[in-house]
Amino acid sequence: MNLRQSFKIALKSIWGKKARSILTMLGIIIGVSAVVIMVSIVQGANKMSKEYYERMGTNKITVSAHQWNGADISQELYDYCLSLSDLVMGVTPNASFWSESGIKYNASTTANMDYTPELYLGSDQFAVCNNFTLEKGRDISYLDVKKHEQVIVLGSRVAEYLFPYQNPIGESVTISGYRFRVIGVYAEKDPGSSWSMDNMAVVPYTLNRMLNNNNTIDQFVVKAVSAAATTDAITRITGFLSGRIDESTGYYSVYSENQWMQSDEEYTKTMSLVVGGIAGISLLVGGIGIMNIMLVTVTERTREIGIRMAIGAPRRSIILQFLIEAAVICAIGGLLGLILGSLGTLIAGKLIFDTVLLPNAGMTIGAILFSVVLGIGFGMYPAIKASGLQPVEALRSE
Amino acid sequence: MKLIELKNVYKIYNEGMESEVRALNGVSLTIDRGEFVAVIGASGSGKSTLMNILGCLDVPTYGEYTLDGHDVSELSSRELSRIRNREVGFIFQGFNLISELTALENVELPLIYQGVGPVKRREMALAALERVGLAQRASHRPMELSGGQQQRVAIARAISTRAPIIMADEPTGALDSKTGVHVLQILHSLHDDGTTVILITHDNKIAATAARIVRISDGEIVQDCPREEAGVL
Repeated sequence: MNLRQSFKIALKSIWGKKARSILTMLGIIIGVSAVVIMVSIVQGANKMSKEYYERMGTNKITVSAHQWNGADISQELYDYCLSLSDLVMGVTPNASFWSESGIKYNASTTANMDYTPELYLGSDQFAVCNNFTLEKGRDISYLDVKKHEQVIVLGSRVAEYLFPYQNPIGESVTISGYRFRVIGVYAEKDPGSSWSMDNMAVVPYTLNRMLNNNNTIDQFVVKAVSAAATTDAITRITGFLSGRIDESTGYYSVYSENQWMQSDEEYTKTMSLVVGGIAGISLLVGGIGIMNIMLVTVTERTREIGIRMAIGAPRRSIILQFLIEAAVICAIGGLLGLILGSLGTLIAGKLIFDTVLLPNAGMTIGAILFSVVLGIGFGMYPAIKASGLQPVEALRSE
Repeated sequence: MKLIELKNVYKIYNEGMESEVRALNGVSLTIDRGEFVAVIGASGSGKSTLMNILGCLDVPTYGEYTLDGHDVSELSSRELSRIRNREVGFIFQGFNLISELTALENVELPLIYQGVGPVKRREMALAALERVGLAQRASHRPMELSGGQQQRVAIARAISTRAPIIMADEPTGALDSKTGVHVLQILHSLHDDGTTVILITHDNKIAATAARIVRISDGEIVQDCPREEAGVL
């Protein structure tokens, strides 16, 4: 009796008991695919939110400060932020302003868009701070800021809307009656959503007096060099502001999306555990299914073992036969579960997140191992139990 | 020449308890190569237990069993399965075929465990089925065969290895008399070829076809003689 022979006997036996084999496989298929799909969906959600924060830019600190008593500390705050040069890569005023008429080019105006674009006052470091990259033309320069140049850089959404068929660089647009020359267009970074980060435009912040009714600039964005520097910079800027702004006459806030990102990560971690737990239960139910089928057939199988022993099968070959049977069933079931789970993951990824979602390798292997061990364990149980009996005892089981 | 020798063999269930059953109570028996022996007894007399012990399907509680010169109690489980595989062919009252396998596959099974190659195995199995007149039914499963046909498949399985000993436990018990006669004819033809046949039965008429009659009652041998001396059967 060699291994090949045992394989033949086992395959013949699986084929002979199709219903039992399929039911056993079903338990494994459902268990494995459920775990694969559910865990993948949670991970997909995690990935989506991570990508969102990455687009927005990490290590970005938003600083807001305002006083009602008329005192303006904007310049002081700006200078202080710039002085943290060992911690920051860039600082920009980040005030947004409102224009009733929107950005006009010939007959079209952004005021007619479903979502009107956000208009920013920024410095030459606006792009670095807000994670924009230039697609065409040039960015706002230090000189543009210094000389109050009436230039504008458009977000891709705005550029597409106003200039669907032509190159916007060098064209003139108007905002609230003032003419601006388009000098650049930022590359698209947030496709898909209707409320897009690309639906924006930025002009030098020194045009504040002209466009913003001379309101003080009360928001800055600081881009720190690292996550650690972010924390450090937040502490320092907060310290600076608390020494200058009396909370009875003003307010200030210093925060970073890093914090949001962290709490979001915590949230998805919890979700992973919850959903993983639910998937684990379905795997357990699948496992109990396997166990049931295997145990129900113990009597029937014990008799078969008795017959095989009576015609001369040695103990080793009987155990080997049952081991191979269980292993083959579990392997096929695990494989089908993997295929079904992967398909389900791809479909769910397309439907829910509109992206290519791939199954998590660790969880998949874990789920397959679990059901294979269970299947093989309970598959071999009757063989180990019955092959220790005298043949006549095994034959007697009805 | 002694093939089988039992010396003072006991098979006791629940020994020492109130429910103690002595299925075999000090049995001594010698069977020579080439004999055709009928073991006869009422149900519960211990004749099936005797066959199980003779065929190494069970072990005696006490006593000595020597098969072909080997003390069975000293053989390993591997050697015992070798004996069941090569030395003895069993024919059970309940057929004991594996229902998922075809007639041919059932007959091939002991040959597989012997390690016979597929071509030779198929040839030997078909020859055995031919001998019991079932070659045309080779690809049928047991459920698709009548009781008599199933019993003949079981016989084919027992003789496929050309084992020198055939043990048949009530081989005609589940069959009508005509089919029973056919089964007996097969056993006799095997005996004519030199096979040692041990036939267990409760039926005097069937026992009467054997050359030697061993009568067992309450786990003890009460008569052991050639058919001619066995008196009224």
